[in-house]
Order: sequence, then C-alpha cells, then structure tokens
Amino acid sequence: MHSSSPSFFPGRACGPRRTAAIFAALLVSASFSQGMETLKPYLPNAEATAAPTDQTAPATEASPAMAPETETRPLPPVVRVNVASQSYNFSQPWRKNPPVLRQGLGVVLTDGRILVTAELVNNHTYVELEKPETALKAAAQVEVVDYDANLALLAAPAAEFLQSINGARLDETAAVGDRVEILQLESNGTPVRTPATITTIEVGAYPVDENAFLLFKLSAPLQSRENSFTVPVFKDDRLVGLVMRYDPRSQTADVVPSPVIQHFLDAAGREPYAGFPRAGLTFSDTRDPQLRQYAKLPNGTGGAYITKVLPGSPAAAAGLKLGDVLLRVDGKAIDQDGNYEDPRFGKISLAHYVSTVMQAGQKLPVVVWREGAEVQVEGALAPRDRSSMISQPYIFDAPPKFVIVGGLVFSELSRQYLREWGPDWPREAPLHLVYLDRYQSELPGDRGKIVFVSSVLPGPNTVGYENLSHEVVEEVNGRPIKSLADLAAAVDSPTGQFHRIKLAEDPGLVVLDVEGSKSEEERIKRDYRLPSLRQLDGAE
Amino acid sequence: MPTALLRLSLLIAAFFVTAAQAAPGPAASMVRISTTAQQPDYSVPWNPGNVGSGVGAGFVIEGKRIMTNAHVVSNATFITVVKEGDPTPWEARVLHVAHDCDLAILGVYDERFFEGTKPLQFGGIPALESTVSAYGYPIGGNRLSVTTGVVSRIDFQPYSHSEVDSHLAIQIDAAINPGNSGGPVMQDGKVVGVAFQGFSGAVAQNVGYMIPTPVVRRFLKDVEDGTYDRYMDLAATYFPMLNPAQRAALGVEEPDTGVLIGSVFDSGSSAGKLQPGDVILSVDGLKVYSDGKIDLDGERTEMAEVFERKFKGDQVKLEVMRDGSKQDIALELDRPWPFEMQARSYDKRPRFVLVGGLLFQPLSRDFLDSQKGVDTRLRYFFDYYVTDHLYREYPEVVVLSEILKDPVNTYVAPFKGGIVDKINGQRIRSLQDVAAAFEQPGEFHVIELLGEGRPIVLERSALAEASERIRQRYGVTTEQNL
Repeated sequence: MHSSSPSFFPGRACGPRRTAAIFAALLVSASFSQGMETLKPYLPNAEATAAPTDQTAPATEASPAMAPETETRPLPPVVRVNVASQSYNFSQPWRKNPPVLRQGLGVVLTDGRILVTAELVNNHTYVELEKPETALKAAAQVEVVDYDANLALLAAPAAEFLQSINGARLDETAAVGDRVEILQLESNGTPVRTPATITTIEVGAYPVDENAFLLFKLSAPLQSRENSFTVPVFKDDRLVGLVMRYDPRSQTADVVPSPVIQHFLDAAGREPYAGFPRAGLTFSDTRDPQLRQYAKLPNGTGGAYITKVLPGSPAAAAGLKLGDVLLRVDGKAIDQDGNYEDPRFGKISLAHYVSTVMQAGQKLPVVVWREGAEVQVEGALAPRDRSSMISQPYIFDAPPKFVIVGGLVFSELSRQYLREWGPDWPREAPLHLVYLDRYQSELPGDRGKIVFVSSVLPGPNTVGYENLSHEVVEEVNGRPIKSLADLAAAVDSPTGQFHRIKLAEDPGLVVLDVEGSKSEEERIKRDYRLPSLRQLDGAE
Repeated sequence: MPTALLRLSLLIAAFFVTAAQAAPGPAASMVRISTTAQQPDYSVPWNPGNVGSGVGAGFVIEGKRIMTNAHVVSNATFITVVKEGDPTPWEARVLHVAHDCDLAILGVYDERFFEGTKPLQFGGIPALESTVSAYGYPIGGNRLSVTTGVVSRIDFQPYSHSEVDSHLAIQIDAAINPGNSGGPVMQDGKVVGVAFQGFSGAVAQNVGYMIPTPVVRRFLKDVEDGTYDRYMDLAATYFPMLNPAQRAALGVEEPDTGVLIGSVFDSGSSAGKLQPGDVILSVDGLKVYSDGKIDLDGERTEMAEVFERKFKGDQVKLEVMRDGSKQDIALELDRPWPFEMQARSYDKRPRFVLVGGLLFQPLSRDFLDSQKGVDTRLRYFFDYYVTDHLYREYPEVVVLSEILKDPVNTYVAPFKGGIVDKINGQRIRSLQDVAAAFEQPGEFHVIELLGEGRPIVLERSALAEASERIRQRYGVTTEQNL
C-alpha cells in the first residue's frame, strides 16, 4: 500500500529534473518482489537513495542461526505509524509533489508518547497510529521533531488507545558484541524478532546535513515487511534504538541509539526545544609527528587540531582559534584522533560528548595548546543557529520561498533546492550553486542568502530572457539583495519605469517594465494556475 | 569565447600503407603525412609519454610548403611526407602551427621533394548546396580517396582541437573519415576548405566539417612575419537584446540593434574600454543586430567575424551606448591569456614541482583530464576561471595533485587534489611561486591549502634523504619543470 510516484519536470531542457522519485520506505514489502531497497549509507535521505534496487543479497539467504524467530512473547510496545506525506517541489515552488505513504513502527514510551524517526514524518500531511493486534486506528500529532538527530515524538492519543501497552524504557547497557533483536510485524500483527549483533559503535553521519552523532551498526539479515520505514531494536525488552538505514548487500543496519534518544527526550521535556548543542568547530587528528613538532606539541599527549571555527558559534565566543589544539574538554583528555574515553563506549569522538552527553546551555571548560602553552577557555554550548546559514542543509514541513516578477521566478539557495537534481546532485546541479552551498562557510559573514533566477515563465515581459537559468541576483533597483524578502521589497519600491535586476553572472543586467510586470501578474496566475506569486514565510 | 564542449572526432587515421601511383588533377598536389607523436603524461609529468603514430593528409601550396591540420602534427617527434607516385618518405618539419584554428604549415628538409608537385590555389566560400570533393587517405583502403558531397551549412562551430575556440566552419555531407584530416576540399579546381573534423557515426551521419578559406587565408597572412599571433578576441561577453524593456531602459531606440556587454575580462582588448551594461551598436561601421549578427560581404554572420579577420594590434571601432549616450570607442586587439588555461595545449611538456613526494601542478585542461575524482572546488576553479574572474587572484591555480607515498609524507594523503594557497607563508599564485617558496629558510615547510584548516608540515631536515629515495623508487627523472 505504498504509492510510487515518478514525477518529471516537463518542458525545460536545463532545469532541475526530479529523478523518478519512486518512493521507498526503508524495508517496504510492496517492493520486495524486485529485491530489497538499497539504502546506501551516508546519503542524505531515504527518498533520494531509494531508486536502485539490489537483487544480489536477499535477506532470506541468511544462515539458519540468524533466521528470524516468530514466537509468542508479550506483545512489544509498538504501534504501526502510517504517514501520508507530501514534499514540496523546489524547482516549481508553488507546487507540491504527489503524496506518498510511509509506514513504520513507533515505540510507545512510558509517558504514552510515541517515538519514530524524523524521516518517517517529514513533510507529513496526516499521521495515523494503528494497533497491531486490533488494527484500531487513531490520528496523531507530531509534537517534537529533530531532523539533525533523525528523531520525532508523536503526542499520545486518547488514553484508552494505548491502554493495554506498557511503555518501553531505554536500554543503558548495550555494547559492541551484544546480541539484540530487531522488531518487525507480520501483516497479521505477529511480532517478528530478527537477531542482530552490534558490530560497531561510533560517531557517524546522519541522513541530513553534515551532522555526526553516535550510531550503532548492526549485522542483521532483515527482511522487508510492512511498516518497516522505521523499525525498533530491543535488548531484553529495552529500547536500544531505531533503525534508520539498512544496506541489504552488507546486511548492516545503522541505528539511532538510546543515548541520542535519551538526549532528545530530555531536550523535548524543556521549553523551548533546544535540540543538540554544537561547539561550532571542526578538527583534524594530530598523528602526524611533523605536525606535532610544528605545533610544539609534547610527545605522549593527545590533542585535536582545530581546523575551523564557525563565526558566531560557542567555540568562537569562547575564543577558540584555528590552529589551537584541544587537549582536554570538561576535564576529559582528548587523544590524537579527537576521541575521549567514554565510561560506557570506550574511545568515542569528542563530537558525541559535546552534542549528546552535554545539553544546550551547559558550560564547557576546554584546555587548548596554543603557541607552546596550555590555555583554558570556557563557553556555553548552544545548538547551531540555522537562520544564519547562507544555504539551508534541508527544508521540511514548510513551502519553499519564491517571488515571481513579470514571469521571472526567483528562489533562495538551499541544499533542498539542489537535491531536485536527484541523488547525484553534487555533479548534476549547477556547479556555481553547488560550490556556494558546499563552501558557504568561506563566504563573507554578511553575504546573506543567495537569491537567483530559478526559472522563467515565458510571457511578453520575458522576451529574450527565456534562457536565464540560475544567475545569482546582486541588486534590484539599486538595493543589494541578501534575501528574497529584500528582493520583494526592492520590487515593491521601483525607482522609475523599470525594475533593474543586476546579476552576478552574464548577461549582467535584466530589465523588466514595472507596469508590464504588474499587468502580467493576473495572466501568470491564471495561465500557470498559481494561487500566489509570492511565498516568503517559508522555513528559515 | 569559450564554447560548449562538443564531442567531435578529429580525422586522423592510425595505420600505414605504401604510396600510390601518381595521378592527374589534385592528386599531383596531395601529400600523405605520417607522424610519430609523443603525448605528454600529465598524471606522471616527468614521464616521457606514450609514443604513437598516425596518418593524415596535406597538400602543397605556394612557397614549397605543405598545408595540413594542426592536430595531424601535434606533439610530433618525427614527420615524413609521401607524395602521390613517389615511394620515398621525405622527412618534414613544422614551420607554423595554429592550434586555435587547427592548421599547420610544413616544410620538407630536402626541397627536391617539391619537384613535380603543383601548388594548389585557394578559392572562396562555396555556395550552399554546391558540390565539393574531399581528398585524403581515410580508412577503407590505401590509395588516395575522393568523396563528393554538397555544402550543407556555413556557420560558426567549435573547433575541437583546442576545445575552446569557435570559428567559421563549413559543414559538408561528403563522407569524411579518419585520415581525411588536413586534406583539401576542392571545387572548380580550387581549394575551398581543409577537412578537419566530423561526428562519429554513432552520433550523426554524413556530418563533416572543413576549415573555410577565410580562416586559412588569415592563418597564411598571420604567419607572413614569421610568427603566429593567434586569433584575437573581444575579451568580453555579449548578449542578444531582444527584450523591449531592457532596450528602453538602456536607451536603445533604433529597432533590432545592439548587443549587451555582460562581462569584461581584465586581460584583453576591452579591458578599461568597455563596461558591463554597454550596448554595442556597430562594429567598424557595420550595424550590430540585436541577435549579435552583422551583414558582412553579403552574408548575415556573427559579429565576432569582424574580430576574427583582424590581427594582433589591429584597431576595431565600436559605437557604444553607455548610460544613455552614444560613444565611439576604439580597441586595439589582443589575445586574452586567461582562456589559455581552459584550452588543450600541444607541443609543451607538463609543468610541475615535486618536493618530498608532493607533486604540484598548475590547473589546465590537460591536467584536469588526467585526474580522477575531481572535487567540487577544483571543478569550479576550472569552469569559472574566466567567468568569475578567478584569473585576477590566480594567474595560475596550483594543485597538490599527487602524493608519492614515502615515510616523509605518510599523513599527507588526504590532502590530494587540494588547491595550494600558501607555502611557508607566501601566497602561491603560480608554479614559480611554489619553487621560490620552498627556497625560504626555516625548520619546516608549511603548506596551506584552500579551505583546509590544517597545514601540511614537512620537516626540512628529512627532505634531502627522502627526495633521493623517492627519485629512485618512483623513477623520477627530474624534480621540476617550470
């Protein structure tokens, strides 16, 4: 019952083309006949990576010892979560893509709320809970969602709906080598528990943005079943985590683990939701003895070499600088790879400590090696301020911003826009936009958003402009353009008979007749069936 | 102007046959050219390079010279020519070569070669649909081949030899195949073109191109002073002005007239003379239509043809609308250097500096083609080098292109492919800068790459020993070519 909906962008030779967005849930049964969906690790999200199917390693060929067992034990605290979702089309920003249905399992927590992955509910239009044994259904609300950590909480429906279910508690002991169980449901509601082994615990990339959090890697022969977009992992009836990726070729599952879930739940208990703090720096290892000598680092010590400090970040506020070497964080020694010794997991990247062990607002004392001496600084941790980013890494649950003037469609650069070019967008999308997105932290701090001509709706005003495509706008009517709102304001106060639009790239200057553009508005709305020519209150 | 890449195959064949019998007509002027060429190896730049051989066509012109395509003799180490009816291969040499328009002139060491040959004369531009005959040594046999077809199209086309130049070219439907390269295309006993490129059969059928005589004559005239100065360029981008509001806002009243200047490149004819937003109304007194065309010699053709026909130092007079008033601007034509980075180069050895197993090379088309997995930054620097004026800051973009693994550089591997910003505190804006910066005294060499926060550090005292070791292990014959 999941819909697959290829959609193409018609009629524009060089415009973005949505690659057949055959919607694939993580392990959906409907697609099983063609082999399981391959979810490649470290690609942005399940939608984008769904297209290839893999026929080489059906999970059914697993060894007997690893075969899933179907037995009668107390019903696990899970409900089916069916999500109707409709994403926005960023190349035609007034349009929504065809709806898709995703089905996953939500874990009922002790307070009656339901935990799922954020990917399951992104761009949702309707969220429905379904009790496995009775197929009883109830509508649900998304209460908190964190796309960085890929987690979401659904509000508890009426108390009687979950009456018979005892909420799950989080596991606090799982370690490398432990046997755990991945829970799925047969279509008749029977639980299917697939044994799995935790093979690796490390900090790794999550589906969106460049965020890295703790993740567990499991080795498990998973089969595709209904409601498998999100599936929980248990150990002795305690929740170990939620599977967010599965690669059927290597039979490995990436799991959002309980420490990340615990942090999310703690943060969700406070208003406003502050999420996961970030220091705002990147570092590299100091294994290279020549680098250590150059930095005058004593032998036998660790240290992580700071390679970037984001402006406006807690690290910048604390006075950390490029070239500082992190020696101790909150009293914990940092080794040459940037790891600290975690009491439960052993050597783990410092990123886990800062983002997950700590909470936003907490003070973090740091000792760095600077010019041959130890220097102590302290800063208060804060989540990353997304609104200050030049190009948003993702935009969900909000329409893309756009402004149409006289048939020219203007958009703001975001990675979500670039993803319209499909899974290979870094190579397929316009190179200068990919470059600006990728290296945005190197742009001047006051650069503002990048506004560009995203397409042209041809009409009498746009004669000669038909081939415009992705030229960045510098000025309109003499005003610098640092956001679509700037552009809308500049267009609203013309300085004469013409709108003068200065582009950073050739042809350099585009001129529209003010009256002509105004009189075109009704025709464009009518002919292209646009409800509005502006959408400015989208997501930051 | 850089042009969109078009995959055209050059028409040089790679096989050997014996000379054919003498024949009347153009056959008495035909030359079969055999070359041995050594292609530079940009991935291992000290390597001598692969040696290969090829066959192309040529024809005798006035002055005991042979005309052929530049790509027939590019990177040649040894050239022999054979004329119809003479079994002897004669050693030839390149007198002039024009890679930007794919033409070359050869001489023969022993001028007795030209005894019994008849120099061919050049004609004009053949009419559309008129019949022409192509002569050459294409695949399918050993002897001189003649194919006939009609003139299909006369237009500006990308010349695939350099990959950045576009000139007038004539499309003909006579079968032209590998081995036709450099051969004459004849009409009424005169040369009306030099066959040079075509599409492979998988892409299109019967689409062959020849270099028309205006381009050939320009080349002959350019080299009269003994050197080839190449094609001139406006060094500015211009765009059709078809939008009424755009025309009105810029004060262009005359209908169907004018093109808009988009960018002006620092190094070149227009620098300091033209500005973005200028509208060119006429060139040397010829009205410029709003689609960028002019009427020249009774033909509607590209405005660029005016510059194309001129030579280095020639003047061109422009009538320009700037800020609502007309101005006359005279430019002295020159060739802008930033485009050279994006052009394929020939007859040159790859330039590089190797220090401690770290290979530094300037960014160029040949270099980029030799690389695998080029990252976004490097692709951007190449594609936008001219259009985003990166040449202003980077006369050369120096890349840390390879790391020859050695104990001295064990931890440098992840930095492969990065653009070098500084070495030992000095800005690196050319390969010479790299060599000079490594001469700086100090305990360490410190290399900083663009966008990488962590410097690469090489301990100077370890380098001498390492260099010797790396030379031996990797067969490095020389450590730099500047």
